[in-house]
Amino acid sequence: MNRYVLKFYKDGYVKYTSHLDLLRIFKRSFKKTGLALQYSQGFNPHPKMGFAQPLSLGYSSKCELIEFETAENHDPADILQKMKDVLPEGLEPVSCVRFESNIKSLAGEADSAEYVVWAPLPESAAADWNNDVLTGKISDYLAQTEITAMKRQKKTKKLAPVDIRKMIRGMQGMVVTDVEGRKALMLNLHLDCGSTSNLSPELVISTFLPFCSLDIERYDVEVERKTLKFVKNLQF
Amino acid sequence: MNYTEKLNQLLKRVEKPGRYIGGEINSVKKNPADVDARFAFCFPDLYEIGMSYLGMQILYKTLNDREKIYCERVFAPGVDMEALMREENMPLMTLETKTPLGEMDFVGFTLQYEMSYTTVLNMMDLAQLPLKAADRAASEKEYPLVVAGGPCALNPEPLADFIDMFFIGDGEVVLPAVVELYGECRKKGMSREEFYREACKMDGVYIPSLYDVTYNEDGTIKELCKLYDWAPMPVRRAIIENIEELPFPTNPIVPFVEAVHDRSVVETFRGCTRGCRFCQAGMIYRPVRERSREKIMQLAMDNLHNTGNDELSLLSLSTSDYSQFEELCNELIPACKRENVSLSLPSLRIDKFAFDVLNKIQEYRKSGLTYAPEAGTQRLRDVINKGVTEADIYKSIEQALELGWTNIKLYFMIGLPTETDEDLDGIAEIARNIVDLNYKINGRKGGRFNVTVSVSNFVPKANTPFQWESQNTAEEFARKHNYLTDKLRMKHVTFNYHDNATSSFEAVFARGDRRCSELLLAAFRNGCKLDSWTEHFKPEGWEKAFADSRINRSFYTERKREFDEVLPWDIIDSGVSKKFLKLEAERAYNETTTHDCRHGCVGCGINRYVKCEMEGTL
Ligand code: SF4
Repeated sequence: MNRYVLKFYKDGYVKYTSHLDLLRIFKRSFKKTGLALQYSQGFNPHPKMGFAQPLSLGYSSKCELIEFETAENHDPADILQKMKDVLPEGLEPVSCVRFESNIKSLAGEADSAEYVVWAPLPESAAADWNNDVLTGKISDYLAQTEITAMKRQKKTKKLAPVDIRKMIRGMQGMVVTDVEGRKALMLNLHLDCGSTSNLSPELVISTFLPFCSLDIERYDVEVERKTLKFVKNLQF
Repeated sequence: MNYTEKLNQLLKRVEKPGRYIGGEINSVKKNPADVDARFAFCFPDLYEIGMSYLGMQILYKTLNDREKIYCERVFAPGVDMEALMREENMPLMTLETKTPLGEMDFVGFTLQYEMSYTTVLNMMDLAQLPLKAADRAASEKEYPLVVAGGPCALNPEPLADFIDMFFIGDGEVVLPAVVELYGECRKKGMSREEFYREACKMDGVYIPSLYDVTYNEDGTIKELCKLYDWAPMPVRRAIIENIEELPFPTNPIVPFVEAVHDRSVVETFRGCTRGCRFCQAGMIYRPVRERSREKIMQLAMDNLHNTGNDELSLLSLSTSDYSQFEELCNELIPACKRENVSLSLPSLRIDKFAFDVLNKIQEYRKSGLTYAPEAGTQRLRDVINKGVTEADIYKSIEQALELGWTNIKLYFMIGLPTETDEDLDGIAEIARNIVDLNYKINGRKGGRFNVTVSVSNFVPKANTPFQWESQNTAEEFARKHNYLTDKLRMKHVTFNYHDNATSSFEAVFARGDRRCSELLLAAFRNGCKLDSWTEHFKPEGWEKAFADSRINRSFYTERKREFDEVLPWDIIDSGVSKKFLKLEAERAYNETTTHDCRHGCVGCGINRYVKCEMEGTL
């Protein structure tokens, strides 16, 4: 079995490509390299290839993983180089390893993920914030027995309340200042991210900022996925 | 906050942000500082539509192959993005380098269909350019040269007030030549007039400001005259005699957001010899010029390898008219199988060979088979010179049914010159006969079977034998639709027809003159844009625009022109002579057909300028 995992960064404008579009980009890129993918059997064969966890539109990432099977055996270093040559700017392959495993899919083994959230402070509020204030707010936020967020239901498309507290594994923060002297909150989130329990950073953002009485436009907030962790301690 | 930061914000607020980011596989990166001229290629529709259009990919490559030219792309933003851009006062920018259009040297629009004209204006407005060419010229500020080309440029007049320069005909040679000339002229410090003077020496360059139009009291044109003695009159269409060695994109951009047609495309030939009298493409792309089979194969394979596409399509006006079509298929089909690529052959004429081909390439998808008789009776098909007989159709449909096809699509036009209700009855007759054929072959309970009858409204087009004809009124079209709906109420038959409103607006611009620019401007001010999208089309905006601009619609649509009337597009010489068009119109009235000129020249006049390699080859 010629199974591999390629790790890549997603950054810059390309972070605005959707999960489906990214699948297409990879499918094309593989074809372009001449690395023939293994196809599934059956009436409607498709290339054996899949992402470990979809990434929301607009997020950048330092830990995107795609697993795939090729028809023939290749040197992982060779695959890495070929993919570097063809992938569009912003999708940057960093490593490729052989993945000889009997697990069904990486997606099934994903467990949690770490994110960095960057939220610029409104000028009017900037003076009130420092690391201590933020740390205090975070522990108050986490001390709640329930944190109710409004989540859009997959089927009905309606917003419904969910308790997200148990899905937050960890949260720290810092107040940072950028080159132009603008202050921002930088949050490190460790959240459930797997097939059984999955928490989107969106729900933390949409509850924590109001909890701090901060009115920050969502489009000013940036999110990056830092790491993706697996149950069987798989590491890439 | 600069534009790129602002763009980053907006991208988080819109649907399908992937439309606006650029940087796709095979898109071109150059340093703008290293080039002499920067060209913004604008497609007046959404990304997904524009990216499926081969012409853009051809010219993108042609221009970027020149070291000193940088061509970038621009599409119309979706309505959500547009609203935010206006709110944030953000100008329309290129995808490649995010440069506001106002900073480019050329802003070039491709005119594929008349209903995109309001979007042209809307994009200029979003780019914060004054819409009228005269206003840009009079301004202190230096604006880019706004140019346009494509099939609709064969009657450029409705856009003449907005566009500085039109490119008529094949663009691959004249466009880069003019862009390079511009770079040189600027280096030498020459004025715009001096540049114009040089540029218009080339075939295919039409600069509206060099000409003036006067009108008669009845509203018809009195005279088209040039304002400078050095301006060419008429402007001859640019025709490239041999397309074999033209730059062709084997490295086309792979769209980020799925385009309508996401596939590799190879142009097999340009032009058509059949001479259907309503068809503009059949007249304005003459003569037929083919690529060699070797070239087509090589382009196809290179393209597939460079894009990773899994679908290949051939492009021409009539796929099976390629002189070595059988040989090409015999080579292409196995090659595509090997590469795991599906092959699609649009506008195939259905004969014995086509069946074999379709059987081979659509093993699992024996779904739809398409015929375009265009008219319901032999009489009317003779009038329009559509060389299909009913016997041909039935024979091949019988075969199709035997081979297991279950879906037949028929295309017709209504409102054709000399049409009567008998011709409409003929449409229903054909549908009924096909349903009967199915009963005959597959029995009364013939299973799943459907005939789809689609009719479109005839729009008389410039540079065709029907350019003088009257168009039906909206009421008349509606009556015919009702009539047909009634007649086609049959089991196994589905009837579709197109919207009436757009075909009458389309007709105004297809044969409009310079005065129609006021109508266009009014429609744009009333919020009309993306008119070919039903969800964005605003008929009220258009109705009001007619009132606002006091343009008399029926003058342009219903009025039958006299043969000796000066037509707005007489300023352009398409290569097909007016004498021939008149002759063809008269033959139409006499219900006389004209043969395909592969059986011998029929004298359209294009051979005054170029050689016709297909003449008399059948
Ligand atoms: S000049 Fe004659 S051969 Fe050439 S395209 Fe016209 S009709 Fe056909």
